[in-house]
Amino acid sequence: MKGKNSAKSIEMEDVWKKYDMGEVEPLVVLSDINLEIKRGEFVAITGPSGSGKSTMLNLVGVLDKPSWGRVILDNQNISFLRESDLAILRGKKIGFIFQQFNLIKTLSALENVMLPMEALDILSKKESEQRAIALLTVLGLQDRLHHKPNQLSGGQQQRVAIARALANDPEIILADEPTGNLDSHTGQFVMEFLQKLNKQGKTIILITHDPNLKKYAKRIINIMDGKIISPPGKK
Amino acid sequence: MKLRKSFDLAVNIFVNSKLRSWLTIIGIIVGIAAVVSIISMSLGAQQQLQSRLGSLGADILTVSPGAQRAGGFGFAGRDSESSSTDQKNLTSKDILAINSVSNVKEVMGTLSGRASVSYSGKTVNSYTIQGVDPSMWKDFNTETLTSGRLLQLGDSYSVVIGQDLANNVFGKTVPVNSRISIGGQQFTVVGILSNGRGIVMPLAQARIVLEDLGGDDFSSISVKISDVTYSNDTVTAITNKLLLSRGIFSSKKQDFSVSNPSAIQSTIEQTISTLAIFLGAIAAISLLVGGIGIANTMFTSVLEKTKDIGIMKAIGTRNGDIMTIFLINSGLIGLVGGIGGVILGSISSVAVNSLAGVSTTSASARGPGGFTNMLAGSSVVSIPLIIGAIVFAVLVGMIAGVIPAYRASKLNPVEALRYE
Ligand SMILES: Nc1ncnc2c1ncn2[C@@H]1O[C@H](COP(=O)(O)OP(=O)(O)OP(=O)(O)O)[C@@H](O)[C@H]1O
Ligand SMILES: [Mg+2]
Repeated sequence: MKGKNSAKSIEMEDVWKKYDMGEVEPLVVLSDINLEIKRGEFVAITGPSGSGKSTMLNLVGVLDKPSWGRVILDNQNISFLRESDLAILRGKKIGFIFQQFNLIKTLSALENVMLPMEALDILSKKESEQRAIALLTVLGLQDRLHHKPNQLSGGQQQRVAIARALANDPEIILADEPTGNLDSHTGQFVMEFLQKLNKQGKTIILITHDPNLKKYAKRIINIMDGKIISPPGKK
Repeated sequence: MKLRKSFDLAVNIFVNSKLRSWLTIIGIIVGIAAVVSIISMSLGAQQQLQSRLGSLGADILTVSPGAQRAGGFGFAGRDSESSSTDQKNLTSKDILAINSVSNVKEVMGTLSGRASVSYSGKTVNSYTIQGVDPSMWKDFNTETLTSGRLLQLGDSYSVVIGQDLANNVFGKTVPVNSRISIGGQQFTVVGILSNGRGIVMPLAQARIVLEDLGGDDFSSISVKISDVTYSNDTVTAITNKLLLSRGIFSSKKQDFSVSNPSAIQSTIEQTISTLAIFLGAIAAISLLVGGIGIANTMFTSVLEKTKDIGIMKAIGTRNGDIMTIFLINSGLIGLVGGIGGVILGSISSVAVNSLAGVSTTSASARGPGGFTNMLAGSSVVSIPLIIGAIVFAVLVGMIAGVIPAYRASKLNPVEALRYE
């Protein structure tokens, strides 16, 4: 149905995001965003702090809905989807990697990685566990399965978060400054791992401040004051 | 998400809850404990009231000769009322008639009158005497013994005397096994009652001592009934039966009366229901406070878990599952509070019981136990109460948790993720 490289993964058409500020004028965080990301792309989003990068990523990850315009994921306009359908869409299609790792602190590494599979309830508990162990092993954490996040280093926590993002084998990985809290060596490991995933066909969208990391991406999108300033990719 | 997984996550949240949540659980424990001990004490009080209803003589009707006589309940206070009357006396034929009425358990004819009593050289000229069936009397007696025994089958020249005669009348004590002279006959004292002012002796001897009474006559007839609830109906049934057997066809010519203890009975019933309403109100307030405590804990817990809720939503957990997790969580708080409350409540009601046990024995020497003894004397912690309290605590927890759980499920994922 969809060609491997030509298929659209994400499309944003004329997207605006405003926040109602009560008495004051509404705050326009994103304006007139038109963007198309193809399957298997590795896109880096850069721009100054507060320019709207995370807001845009949250729209792509269907964590949020636009105030205006269309966000199309998997051929569906997300504005028309119910909250529970969005949750399922996120669970199946999207893997999030955050700057703050965002692991659940009361669950072990293994349980954190199993959670997306158990939320979707497709695999049995045993299969989920086996898959989670396999993923953690790939990330070099086979002897940290039962550690809680606070018993792990920052780099280890981010590796658990990556394993969790891969749990349901999503098409798209969204990484919001994944190396922001890591030393350069661990940061490099994470970037190389993302690159490897991209080579295996996953779409990667990465937000970064670090100019050195832009080299991993095939395409760079610059955002300034809620607008895309580099020409939109039309290859 | 499977229910099992939601349950695991709810347990995880519960086990890892902050000190504040545990303090609220202690509040729930205290609330449920109060409810359990209040209910167990009120059940105990009701049981005691029921049994005292019997010992007060509410299950004893008295048939007396003469119309419209205001009857008493037991032996106490009914000393010389029916000694002489110009009406037709009660006879063993009447006893037979009453015996055939339903709800009647036992029927005993009694004699009462006055006679002279001598002990140790002193004589009292006119003292209250009662003649009873020695084998049945124990079922009708409402007094407690301070020493000796009650009358029993085979007793002849034996008497049981009241506290008054034993200690006051002769200026010296009359101990058990003393010989006293009544109406010129020699008797042995076999028991002393804690209260009461008369002398109780077997019927046959009373007929000798109380000369003015005819051969087959009784001063009154005491009727013990099986079920106090139907005492009014039984009074009517006995009255009708006696009217028939005595050949009286107009109730205006009725020459006997049947005392009705329903006055005291309704007082007691009123006391029980007032007590139940009062205790119920206290229990309801405790539960309300407990429920508000759970709701408060849940709001706090949802707030504490805001970030985790954001994370769970980001990785694909549906709103319904989040709602389920927090509902189970609040049910768990109720469950733990309920179990703890039942344990604490049982311990405290057992403790109150043993405390009251001490005071009851010391009080019984002085007379009937007071209301406080009745309240605390024998609280009942039953299995249905335990299960009921725990189920109730879980329900209160879940109801209190509905709104916080709904709020949790509706959190905006982006804002939840930003929460620190
Ligand atoms: N809920 C909100 N209400 C009002 N304003 C908001 C809200 N969320 C975000 N903003 C504003 O939107 C703007 C863009 O925020 P965003 O997080 O997308 O920036 P960013 O480009 O990711 O910045 P950084 O590089 O610092 O992470 C900011 O000015 C922020 O104050
Ligand atoms: Mg950001």
